[in-house]
Amino acid sequence: MKPILEIKDLHVHFYTYAGVVKAIAGVSFTVYEGETFALVGETGCGKSVTSRAITRLIESPGRIVKGSVIYHTKDGRKIDLLKLPEAELRAIRGKEIAYIFQDPTAALDPLYTSGYQVAEAMVVHRTVRSWKDGIKRAIEILRSVLIPDPEKRVKAYPHELSGGMKQRVVIGTSLSNRPRVLIADEPTTALDVTIQAQILKLIESLKRRHNATVMLITHNMGVVAEIADRVAVMYAGKIVEIGNVFQIFKNPQHPYTKGLLKAVPNPLIKVEKLESIPGTVPNLINPPPGCRFHPRCPFVMDVCRVEEPPMVEVEPGHQVACWLYTKR
Amino acid sequence: MAELKKFLIRRMLTFIPTVIGVTLITFMIAYVIPADPARAWAGGEKASQKAIELIRQRYHMDEPWYAQYWFLVTSLAKGELIDPRTHNPVMYDIMKRFPVTIELALFSFVFILIIGIPLGIISAIKKDSIIDTFVRFFALTGVSTPVFWLGYLLIYVFFVMFRVINIVGKPPDPAVVITGIPIIDALLIGDFKTVNQHVARYWLPGFVLGFMGAGVLARFVRNSFLEALSSDYIEFLKAKGVPKLRLWRHALKNALVPIVTVLGLQFGGLLSGTPITETVFSLPGMGRYAIQSIQNIDFPAIVAVTFLFAIIYVTANLIVDILYAIIDPRVRY
Repeated sequence: MKPILEIKDLHVHFYTYAGVVKAIAGVSFTVYEGETFALVGETGCGKSVTSRAITRLIESPGRIVKGSVIYHTKDGRKIDLLKLPEAELRAIRGKEIAYIFQDPTAALDPLYTSGYQVAEAMVVHRTVRSWKDGIKRAIEILRSVLIPDPEKRVKAYPHELSGGMKQRVVIGTSLSNRPRVLIADEPTTALDVTIQAQILKLIESLKRRHNATVMLITHNMGVVAEIADRVAVMYAGKIVEIGNVFQIFKNPQHPYTKGLLKAVPNPLIKVEKLESIPGTVPNLINPPPGCRFHPRCPFVMDVCRVEEPPMVEVEPGHQVACWLYTKR
Repeated sequence: MAELKKFLIRRMLTFIPTVIGVTLITFMIAYVIPADPARAWAGGEKASQKAIELIRQRYHMDEPWYAQYWFLVTSLAKGELIDPRTHNPVMYDIMKRFPVTIELALFSFVFILIIGIPLGIISAIKKDSIIDTFVRFFALTGVSTPVFWLGYLLIYVFFVMFRVINIVGKPPDPAVVITGIPIIDALLIGDFKTVNQHVARYWLPGFVLGFMGAGVLARFVRNSFLEALSSDYIEFLKAKGVPKLRLWRHALKNALVPIVTVLGLQFGGLLSGTPITETVFSLPGMGRYAIQSIQNIDFPAIVAVTFLFAIIYVTANLIVDILYAIIDPRVRY
């Protein structure tokens, strides 16, 4: 497997009045070409921030303080996206690495037609010759994301489309330049349950057609089980466990992953009763020392309170950051 | 387009109650003033009883208030109302002064736009920088600077010290009347000599009158632009790889709706600022005329001026409403 994105030791801080929020503290993982990589965790664990930090879409008061994001280009070059000049990075955003945002209603500019916004992505990257060509291509793109009557819909404003339609427009915009990596940040959270499956199916089929790599950010374990190849579980700004989808669902190692899987209906194992994880997500201005999960962990040991656990491999391709699995 | 026509007709109809309400309130205020206008118009203490009687009769003053009001409004609409002070038809007096006031308001409106909008945008883009602080300071100064003070200060600088402006009289009108506003007519017929004269006479009063509005507008543009810049669609545009300039264009278009609203209100506000500016710069405009009418309890003139101001105000708001629909496709008539 060839890596396409290598995130190494990423740190993102938010400088607020209440103090410095250490939202991402040393996140490292690798996404391989052609796979569907899922980043899961509860709200506020930093999965969205991680995904946006990849192309430096972090706005003030947030700042990427440390780390690197190595992107492997098509011709085999390796570039660190965090050190790239703004203009070069802009050429990659939306062309090689594209995003789908959570809320399609907010992601589309209400004052422009859907066709304009799809075409705009191609016009700014000069993948079409003119606006006229762009609009023509936009019709094809809207058809490919299964929007009925695309000739009419290109002239429609966002408020004239339903939520599912808007998300299709967003997906069409993102895929218009045939990106190599598609980062889908909770693409179905804001949609009706009935639409969710359609949108996921659409993303999957487009991924296969364009041979793209998908990075899916979600808190929905059902979605993960359905389309992910590999999974990284995040907790309070750190990755606690990485493995392929079978390893994570059948053989979860980290107490947090176990708790998370007990809290949702597991599609692979029959669960009698759903359980919740006691306690709440820690305040990231003063995160707990040692392992960030220790105040909520049922297997807490003395070492957990003082020292951060290292990532250890428990089986091929399955890593976990927990003192339970570290030989000392 | 048919919808636009319907909307315009509907809005025009709402003009009627607005204008009636405004004139009625003005009339009632003048009516309850504990002074005898007929005596005042006839010449004050020394007025002969016969003259007072005649005036009372001419202006229906012996009749109940609603009859008086009705007489005032109908004869005003017909253009027959004679001003007791100047002995001209009220509308004739007003129309002579109206172009001066409108021109003054236009000049200051241009100043508001060319100062307020760029300053607001720059201060939003350079948020929390020295420029931003300067704009905030400028807005505060603008709001708290009295027009008469700034007016006299600048007259001292530009007239007393440097002699670059003229502060008496009214520049000549162009040969042809098209819109009735001299500078626009002069521009339309290409009479640049007259245009120059008008600019020379009006730029300073226009600046003084617009100074306050420019600061307010700059603050407003800054805030709505910043708000638009922090929206999700701007982030999605960034993720699309859209360059900065195009990003700002999206944000600015979205920020326009609140900006246009403020501009409409400011245009109305300019009219209320004209009396002082016209007095300071001795411009023979409607604002000064209104002040003189108030001093002389000349309520036919007061009602007529209010009537005209009200019409300008509602027209400005109508234009704002039409602009909304042009900017924002979600607004439909």
